[in-house]
Amino acid sequence: MPTTLDTDVRPEDRFVSAFKVNHGQTLNGTSASIAQQREHAIERFAQLGLPTKEQEAYKYTNLATVIDRPYTLPLSPEMPAVTEEDIAPFEIDDLNAHRLVLVNGRVHEGLSDIGDLPSGVIISSLDRAGQEHPDVVEEHYGAYVDFEDDAMAALNTAFVQDGAFVYVPSGTLLEKPVFVLHVHAGEEDLLIQPRHLFVVEDGAVAQIIEKQHSLTDARTFTNTVTEMYAGRDANLQHSITQHQGDHASQVMTTAGYHRDNSTLTSNLFSLSGEVVRNNQTLTPDGEHCESNLYGLVLGKGDMHVDNHTLVDHVHADCASNELYKHILNDRSTAVFNGKVFVHRDSQRIDAYQQNDSMVLTNEANIYTKPELEIYADDVLCSHGATSGQIDREGLFYLRTRGLTENRARILMLQAFAQEVLDEIRNDAVKAHITGVVRDRLARSFT
Amino acid sequence: MSQSETEYLQGKADEEYKHGWTTDIKTEKAPKGLSEDIVRYISNRKDEPEWLLEWRLKAFRHFKQRIESGEYPGWAHLDYEEPDFQDISYFSAPDQKAQYDSLDEVPDEILETFERLGIPLEEQKALTGVAVDAVMDSVSVATTFKEKLEEEGVLFMSFGEAAKEHPDIVRKHLGTVIPYTDNLYAALNSAVFSDGSFVYVPEGVDCPMELSTYFRINEQGTGQFERTLIVAEPDSYVSYLEGCTAPMRKENQLHAAVVELIAHEDAEIKYSTIQNWYPGDPDTGEGGVYNLVTKRGLCKGDNSKISWTQLETGSAVTQKYPSVILAGDDSVGEFYSVAFTKGHQQADTGTKMQHLGKNTKSTIISKGISADLADNSYRGLVKVSKNADNARNFSQCDSMLLGDQCGAHTYPYIEIGNPSAQVEHEATTSKVGEDQMFYCHSRGLGEEEALKLIVNGFCKEILAELPMEFAVEAKELLAIELEGSVG
Repeated sequence: MPTTLDTDVRPEDRFVSAFKVNHGQTLNGTSASIAQQREHAIERFAQLGLPTKEQEAYKYTNLATVIDRPYTLPLSPEMPAVTEEDIAPFEIDDLNAHRLVLVNGRVHEGLSDIGDLPSGVIISSLDRAGQEHPDVVEEHYGAYVDFEDDAMAALNTAFVQDGAFVYVPSGTLLEKPVFVLHVHAGEEDLLIQPRHLFVVEDGAVAQIIEKQHSLTDARTFTNTVTEMYAGRDANLQHSITQHQGDHASQVMTTAGYHRDNSTLTSNLFSLSGEVVRNNQTLTPDGEHCESNLYGLVLGKGDMHVDNHTLVDHVHADCASNELYKHILNDRSTAVFNGKVFVHRDSQRIDAYQQNDSMVLTNEANIYTKPELEIYADDVLCSHGATSGQIDREGLFYLRTRGLTENRARILMLQAFAQEVLDEIRNDAVKAHITGVVRDRLARSFT
Repeated sequence: MSQSETEYLQGKADEEYKHGWTTDIKTEKAPKGLSEDIVRYISNRKDEPEWLLEWRLKAFRHFKQRIESGEYPGWAHLDYEEPDFQDISYFSAPDQKAQYDSLDEVPDEILETFERLGIPLEEQKALTGVAVDAVMDSVSVATTFKEKLEEEGVLFMSFGEAAKEHPDIVRKHLGTVIPYTDNLYAALNSAVFSDGSFVYVPEGVDCPMELSTYFRINEQGTGQFERTLIVAEPDSYVSYLEGCTAPMRKENQLHAAVVELIAHEDAEIKYSTIQNWYPGDPDTGEGGVYNLVTKRGLCKGDNSKISWTQLETGSAVTQKYPSVILAGDDSVGEFYSVAFTKGHQQADTGTKMQHLGKNTKSTIISKGISADLADNSYRGLVKVSKNADNARNFSQCDSMLLGDQCGAHTYPYIEIGNPSAQVEHEATTSKVGEDQMFYCHSRGLGEEEALKLIVNGFCKEILAELPMEFAVEAKELLAIELEGSVG
């Protein structure tokens, strides 16, 4: 039964009453621990309230304007008709992958094409995993994201129903990537809250490629929580492309936790959206971990993208890299708040962070705040932030080589973006996104 | 101040006393607490014009409103107890009594520090508060300086004097850069400021000497709520130094100063600060000074320049962000800072550069050194507004950690709204390099000497910005502070 949010009451209360109405519709209703967590989460959400601009973490991003709308909360599985043809344009050429398709936050088994899997590997909906593999789900679910001080994560936890689930057991090399395609469909304005869980056990290797698209012009607000776990010596590559159009807003909270000698990499591409807020946290809890965060934002129209990242160095002897780039056109706004936190006794940390922005118009804005909070002395931490325009000398050089002004600009911007694109480890994905970026830049100047 | 004025002042004070409270006025100290009466009392004691009292009262009402709404600026990375504003005495008359009759009575360790800092004998006397007649020389030096300044038309006097003698200039500029509504402490200062310095440099004048509060030390006693106003008319230049390297023990724990600088067309103001106040008990951190200061400069005219240089080694808690509003086209703002914290000290300092005019430039170089249990944060804002074409900023914030129990943090805010802006920010945090130490050892330097050398190199570009005579002392001061930080 869907519930429409009543905009006459305080936004927080709408969710609280919707929670009461749809009490039973939940992920794995039989699990006592998940049920208990949901109760606690809605309580916490009611106490915290929705984030406002008064809060330092939301200083530059006003969620109220996009969340305060009469959205429908689809609480039971009602699947609008989506066909293979509908999703075909969102495919990645030459990507031979295990495909999981989610429509409005729920796994669509008809459209999904998992194929053959190595033994022990599970790719399914979180809902199904909760029933079939409760041990794995309960071990990791809710373990890495902390909703005590995060209203949006609490809200997601309270309404948790479904999402993507990937499990790769110890020592397994998952050769083909997992392709997770999210589409929005239907005529209604929707507020959906998917919850994903990716578990890569000790020594396992996996690639997860997510893409977010929309088939509708209706307004949507997505409040996602993704939890990732990489065991000892594991390697998890995660990439996500946000391209849902001008009517889609979202808050995406990603928490990655990894153990000794493991590598966790996140590639994020924000290509369209109304208000997009990404909270990414990586916690390398073990020695010799490598944590990588890469992001590219192409701003157009009135798009507002806010990337908050935290690399939480709770353990000594780790390295982290972070590179975020923004190209802002029209009236778009980007916010970058990257934080590196080195705890006491987390010695010998090598943390690097860089944020570069190109602001192309007078109406575009960039707010950047690269933070370091360091309590250990034997560390090497640095951050850099730059903002500027296309290098005149570079442009001049290209003009002397016979390029038109527009071609030269496009080439310069492409080169600027390339540094982030180069960090994509999957060739098909790299070629695909490079093409999308190239087309976008070409369109911006013609 | 002539005798009659003093009498008049005293009379006024006594008058007020009748209506006010019951404390013995002879102590020259207002009773604890803050109220409109106290604000009136302060203004009265200082024989201020009516408009200034009105301004103070407005500020006080604003302060009260903020306090009543439960506001306290607790956003900085600082951990200290909120001061009880009703438990502070807001006025005490300058103490004319000498603390000592001669230098022989001054404790040896203070003299030793002076010796090492290379402070001249006469200044040592002035700083320790040796009886006035014993430092006749320095007073006469001050007088010579004053004459020379008067010749050039430079006004350099206490804020109180200026309010009376040049009310038009003071009134025109007071609170224009830092309105009393700016923040809680600016409101408090505006309501109860005791005294401070006033500098006015007329058009086309290069101030013939570095101005410092040094030689005014005996007529000072500006107390805990200092207010400084510097106005540089078109095409003028002034360099002002506040504080000194000598360790200063302050009576009051809370210090909330306000400094306003205004530079007109083609004018340049260089403001240097050396702060070495009591940092509190090294083992517990108790009793140290809270140094919560609002400093801001306005580059009002085209081609103007304001430069802040600071060396912060003292105080238990330091929170200050000397800022520049770059309103004039082609104006320049600079911020050079070394903040050294050790023991239980905490510092949250940095700057704000607001680019409004076209072709404006700003440079930020901040070095933070943290040892023992100290926390040292850089917090800064670079804002390029929509119409500030061709703005240029370079920021560099380096932190050095000298122990595994201290913290170093950077919170740079960068807000860009113009495509032609070129902004660069870089920050590093590291400890003293083992290879650097090794090299120094191999050249025969001991642990401590090596550390001094390396830290000195780390801070060199900042110290070089200080006026020459202070740069030497500042270097020594850092060396002294570093002692005992090896480990």
